[in-house]
Amino acid sequence: MRTLQSQSTDIYTDYVRDWKEKGGKVLGYACVATPVELIEAAGVLPYRIKAFGHPDTELGDAYLARFNCRFCRSCLQLGLDGTYDFLDGLIETNGCDHLRGMFENWQYVKKYEFFHYLKVPHFLREDSLEYFTEEIGLLRQALEERFGAQVTDERIRKAIDAYDEVFARLKRLYALREKVPPAVSGAEVMRLVCTGSSMMAGDFSALLDEVLAEKENAAPLPYKARLMILGSATDEVDLIEDIESTGALIAADALCYGSRSFWRREGESGDPARLLAERYLANLFCPRMFTEYEKRRDYILETAKRAGVDGAIVTYNKFCDLHGVESVSLRMDLEKAGVPVLVLEKDYGSKADTGRIKTRVQAFLERLGK
Amino acid sequence: MYFAGIDVGSLTAQAVVINAKGIVAYKSIGVKPHPVQSARAVVDMLVKEEGIDWSEIRFCVSTGYGREQVQAEGLSQDNVSEISCHGMGASWLVPEVRTVIDIGGQDAKVIRVGKGGELVDFVMNDKCAAGTGRFLEVQARTLGLSLDELGTVSFQAERALELSSRCSIFCETEVLHYLQRGHTKADIAAGVNRAMAERVAALVRRVGLEKEVTMSGGVAKNAAVRAELERMLNVRLIKYDTDSQIVGALGAALMARKMGGGS
Repeated sequence: MRTLQSQSTDIYTDYVRDWKEKGGKVLGYACVATPVELIEAAGVLPYRIKAFGHPDTELGDAYLARFNCRFCRSCLQLGLDGTYDFLDGLIETNGCDHLRGMFENWQYVKKYEFFHYLKVPHFLREDSLEYFTEEIGLLRQALEERFGAQVTDERIRKAIDAYDEVFARLKRLYALREKVPPAVSGAEVMRLVCTGSSMMAGDFSALLDEVLAEKENAAPLPYKARLMILGSATDEVDLIEDIESTGALIAADALCYGSRSFWRREGESGDPARLLAERYLANLFCPRMFTEYEKRRDYILETAKRAGVDGAIVTYNKFCDLHGVESVSLRMDLEKAGVPVLVLEKDYGSKADTGRIKTRVQAFLERLGK
Repeated sequence: MYFAGIDVGSLTAQAVVINAKGIVAYKSIGVKPHPVQSARAVVDMLVKEEGIDWSEIRFCVSTGYGREQVQAEGLSQDNVSEISCHGMGASWLVPEVRTVIDIGGQDAKVIRVGKGGELVDFVMNDKCAAGTGRFLEVQARTLGLSLDELGTVSFQAERALELSSRCSIFCETEVLHYLQRGHTKADIAAGVNRAMAERVAALVRRVGLEKEVTMSGGVAKNAAVRAELERMLNVRLIKYDTDSQIVGALGAALMARKMGGGS
């Protein structure tokens, strides 16, 4: 676990380096709506793009505006400055416009041979499920053409099973964090989810087995208050560490680099492409799904209740249109349900903001009487 | 039996000593480069000028941006956020207060407190300097006025000029533009104070206003900003005799008294 902690915020990890040295291909994606099972079934390593608190954006700023989310600008910066040159291609989705701008400018400059735009519907209806099934078919075809692998139904089913193994283990890890007192911290969980998002499923399962064996016998962690964190895309382990340094334990999350990436990935169709469409679209707890607010709210309230949290932090990056708008309704609904809320608007990766963030969290704990 | 509070902010540092009855002594200084230096300096001054024997302080609480470092150096026994401390301090000065508007050098906070001064809710401005003391400093410097003059001169204005930028730097450009167009300093200063009050009023609306209302921090000394806020929020900002800048340190001292078994 200690080694993992020290390496988990590297972009080009030992694991990926090893994979590349053995001749493996790596595809970058950012949005939680990307069906990684399909990429893995093609024998390619799915790599979820992260910036890991990298605050520089000078190259990214030449292509994106200052009022684009800094997380996207930071990822683009790393794409343009060569940090991500180990990738063999990109998969873009219409998660949000900032993310699209990031991908399209990255491709404009780097010109990867493989660049696929996976269009994800904004509604959950029968016709949008059909549409997304077709889109998944197109990605499957593109992967086969570029990487020469037969992405058979059997291989997809095998990949789905492998990811189910990962999710089962992650849920056990989350249960260790949710129990009173907890055996694992919020920062540790985020490191693990981020680390696993650039590993093949089987290897991540093996890593989780090791961590679980260690954590299931670990000493309980002290804390003043149990909090839940939810909001826009962030891989900022530092942010969670700063929050936890005040005595707040992040006992649960509804982040897309967290529980939202795996919690309810379920479906019932026998056809693997359709099954993936169901697993992703029907379980996409993101404000980009315009008509699904009630489902997101219920998921968040249910998570808060299960983890027995004292309060919630609703966080979003400056200029995040989707989560910025949604934070208003979420705050009201959480408070109505008796969960006090701290709305934390922040700049991605800004170390200079640490003091201000800690002041607000400390005051929030004092408000909770902790 | 003495209790103390030390508040090291971004521009000023304060120390307050209290006993069971109330305030015994206080000092306020401009900050040094390091929070611990500021804390030591303000405590030294209190000891020398007010004859306080620091060894008689039973419990001390630090607050403000340097609160953790001050405690780590052993100058205080615990630390509490400045948000709780301002609420507590203001509530002690004005027991009926429910909303505290605290505008410091680099941030602005609106704090809602309960009957005993306990924190109910708060909102803090975001990263930039809009709506903070620094905003006024920048515009006062451009106008060639002191901070005090910026407040007083605007009462001579015929009309407050519109300053549309939220950003302090862009606003400075607007101030320069008005100066070059020949507008009076009074009209520009009135516009600056109004713009400042508008930013803060927006913050107040985010947390909701409940009477009674007081104002603390350095900007509370600017009569023009106070007057604009009273007009915009349709409330009377209750005044108190104590220096508005020591409210945070006073709150910390009151917390120290509670933690140290003094009340």
